[in-house]
Amino acid sequence: MLLCAAPLGMGNYQSYLAQLMIINVIAALGLNLLTGNCGQISLCHASFMAVGAYTSALLITRLGLSFAIAIPAGTLVSAALGAALGFPARRLSGLYLALVTLGFLELVQIAVEEFPDLSGGVRGLSVPKPEVLGIQIRSDTALYYLALAIAAFAVWTAHNVEKSRFGRAFNAVRQSSYATQALGIPLGRTKLLAFSLAAGFAGLAGGLQAIVVGFIDPTEFGISTSLRQITFIVVGGLGSVPGSVTGALLLTALPEFLRGVQEYSDLLYGGILLAALLFMPQGIAGQLDALWARAGKGELGSPKHSELRP
Amino acid sequence: MTWQVAFQLALSGASVGSIYAMVALALVIPYKASGVLNFAQGEIVTLGAYTGLVLSLATSLPFVALIPITLIVAALFGIAIERLLIRPILAAPEFTLVIATFAIGLIIRAAIRLYWQDNTFPLEAPFVGPPLSLGPLRLNPAYLVVIATLLVLVGALIVFFRYSKFGKAMRAVALNVTAARLMGIDINSVFASSWALATAIGALTGLLLAPIIGVNPEIGHLILKALVAAVIGGFTSVGGAVVGGLLLGILETFGGAFFGATFKNVIPFGILILLLLVKPHGLFGRAVQQRV
Repeated sequence: MLLCAAPLGMGNYQSYLAQLMIINVIAALGLNLLTGNCGQISLCHASFMAVGAYTSALLITRLGLSFAIAIPAGTLVSAALGAALGFPARRLSGLYLALVTLGFLELVQIAVEEFPDLSGGVRGLSVPKPEVLGIQIRSDTALYYLALAIAAFAVWTAHNVEKSRFGRAFNAVRQSSYATQALGIPLGRTKLLAFSLAAGFAGLAGGLQAIVVGFIDPTEFGISTSLRQITFIVVGGLGSVPGSVTGALLLTALPEFLRGVQEYSDLLYGGILLAALLFMPQGIAGQLDALWARAGKGELGSPKHSELRP
Repeated sequence: MTWQVAFQLALSGASVGSIYAMVALALVIPYKASGVLNFAQGEIVTLGAYTGLVLSLATSLPFVALIPITLIVAALFGIAIERLLIRPILAAPEFTLVIATFAIGLIIRAAIRLYWQDNTFPLEAPFVGPPLSLGPLRLNPAYLVVIATLLVLVGALIVFFRYSKFGKAMRAVALNVTAARLMGIDINSVFASSWALATAIGALTGLLLAPIIGVNPEIGHLILKALVAAVIGGFTSVGGAVVGGLLLGILETFGGAFFGATFKNVIPFGILILLLLVKPHGLFGRAVQQRV
């Protein structure tokens, strides 16, 4: 069920790209738990990446902590903030939830701009490469393996959450909030947990991105990025761990193959997202599921994807 | 705080608020009719500005003549979007609709940036000029034009919705789609028209804004403020959208004057989150039936 790829012997740029792909996988996993499994719209996923990135970066640069402490710390801070968001989000759904997350997105962006002493403002923040035992890790291959290891952990975690009773609670919330409550599952707390978890994943991805790229660019954490992440999970397959992985890997790599520049990137993502919503809302995982089912065997993921179509 | 300063702030606030109000109208009208919130509306505003730019560069028409052409182009664009992209997914869950309209907006903005990059272009208009003097007051003519446009628009909409047959049809659809169908109202044309109306209003706003702040791809960012305005007024109330917009504009302006620029930026979103926590239906909205 897990797509594992660890090609060695790549050029530096490809190694770098692979790291970005993996980072996006981590972020996508979190978002999919929240949106695909739990059914909550979140337009501020990128903001939690920002929180993780800045927290980790500040802990490394200001307090001299090792990345091994800073990144988990960033993850926790993100998760805490996710819980904070989950609190007002408990009673909202659909449109109003989307709006709250949008408001949160904006507030985070304002915060980044308004505290330039901490965040470097619009000019961004430099982050030194990680150190192990005093030696700086500069090689792309080493960073790649670091990222891969963390991503593997993330995939394992997401998979286990999905299979756990929390994952089942998430699915219940998505399908019917009334039925969930009737079954005695605490609706509010489940949603809170989902938000917190998603934020944690995003924070982890953000912290990792900070040390891999070496620089935090505040414009990276706006609505475009959030939509990009949503594209990953819609195309990959909502509510499916392999879907998150596939979507993130595929769509991060895609723009690179199209020789275009940043300008085409947004257009491409928007087009893919729209096309996916109109024509293939079950995503790749959903399509594979359908084929699998037709072949008479079991299912790869779960039957959530087909709910998106009228 | 003298009366003079207060009045200036109020005027400035009302002017900004009028912009918010107009875009909020463009958000609420199709929402009431078809239940879809068009997150691409910000980009529609931007399109209005760019349409004006293109027209003024291609022809040598005066600003006033640009208005009706832009309105028609926008209305057609709105109908196209509604028919081709929205109608197929009308029955889909909210997530799909929300994200789809976002995607449309992203595509529009990316396309604009692809062609015109992030440059800001000027657009000539007769109402941009030095402030007029009226006694001790300085009146920025652009502000007055914006406020006046809102008033005219609201007046026209009131007349339309209350007295015209089609306006009543739109109200009927907003109340209850099934009943409207039973009454023989053509739902499809009402949907299409509400979108056309909304995009026209949005484009008009963009066209008005262009001479004041310049034509650039980021104009659409103000949809966030318009959303807050719509939440304040309640999504189901057209009048509420107007009140919400004006209120937000005035609160922002006064808040900024008293507490500084940071506060001014934070106010709208602080209000948004607070309202959604406490009173998501805003001042005038009513709870709508959840689509189960």
